[in-house]
Amino acid sequence: MRRGAAGSAGFSATGIALRVLVLLAIVVLATWAAHLLKDALNLTIMPTNEQQVHRTLMLGAVAYVGLLAIPFVPGAEVGIAMLTAFGAAIAPLVYVATVAAMMLSYTLGRFLPGTTLARMLGLLRLRKAADLVARASVLPPDERLALLLEGAPPKTVGLALRHRYIALAVIVNVPGNAVIGGGGGIMMMAGMSGIFAAVQTLLAIAIAVSPVPIMVMLLGA
Amino acid sequence: MTPIVQAAAIAVVTLGTGAATVSVMNGDIPDMTVPEAAWSAGHELDGRAFHIEAALDNGQTDVDELRFADGGFISMGCEEYCDFGYSDYRTWVDAEGVIHFTATADCPTAPHRTVWHGQVAGDEITVEMSWTTRRWYWTHQINGAGGGPQIAAPGSAVSG
Repeated sequence: MRRGAAGSAGFSATGIALRVLVLLAIVVLATWAAHLLKDALNLTIMPTNEQQVHRTLMLGAVAYVGLLAIPFVPGAEVGIAMLTAFGAAIAPLVYVATVAAMMLSYTLGRFLPGTTLARMLGLLRLRKAADLVARASVLPPDERLALLLEGAPPKTVGLALRHRYIALAVIVNVPGNAVIGGGGGIMMMAGMSGIFAAVQTLLAIAIAVSPVPIMVMLLGA
Repeated sequence: MTPIVQAAAIAVVTLGTGAATVSVMNGDIPDMTVPEAAWSAGHELDGRAFHIEAALDNGQTDVDELRFADGGFISMGCEEYCDFGYSDYRTWVDAEGVIHFTATADCPTAPHRTVWHGQVAGDEITVEMSWTTRRWYWTHQINGAGGGPQIAAPGSAVSG
């Protein structure tokens, strides 16, 4: 049985604080590396190439939303690449695209039957994602979210379900959540569970994914 | 509400909130400020052309040809990426006979705006300019300054 990233250690105060510190360290290091890479690439927007840059950015944003919304597909790298190349100026677009991707995944999970979703993912050769959705689709809705917390003590599962929006915001930010489906997988399960209201979920995700773009904007300013 | 309507409502709320967020986070960069003066529609520079070299604030350099004709101003360099055409220019002349001019050009097919301000003393021109692109997700601006000598004006008629 696969152990969830949000195991018992994950929800202790020390564990959460440690992970937040790790996240902050990653953001600081990534921003520093992005500045170095940007200087090395010497990417300069000029009147002659601005239109091309704009088209590339729009294409990148669409690809980012699509990839990030799919469980187990690493889409965050596209966003990081955009932040690397264009710095703080592009942070608002990356932030909104991240929220849109999460909500797309949630909406698919909420309104499409699990069997249809599993078949679609299978057609795309996304076997791990299809397997996750297929396993979830045979469970009662309120047990689907608990699938992400496999291996966690019942007390932790209960706590996460009582404070589900906070839990969702935390899990989406936990480094290493790719093993349980990444942001796309987590949000798809949240949608499939039927226990997350759309507006509250949007608010939770808007807050949850804001630290990285805000830090990039602050450090890049 | 049917599932389709609910999904559409979520999409509208998400995209609407997203667009509002981007517009709040995306701070505008104002165009270059042109000094206050007794500007009036210009004709003093009609029929003249200048070759300029400008240093840009992004570290690049730019070579351009500026033309004045029939009260209009055009940057041939800018024409390479957008069909700005001729834009009205305004002038005032100081006591030493230096002609001060300014012009603003908007690209009809993309959100670019260029603002020019300069002086012509004899056969030499000095200019400063800003090139601003206002996309929905960011505002980008390049500023530059330079100058150069007068060159032979093209015989072609004004277009655009």
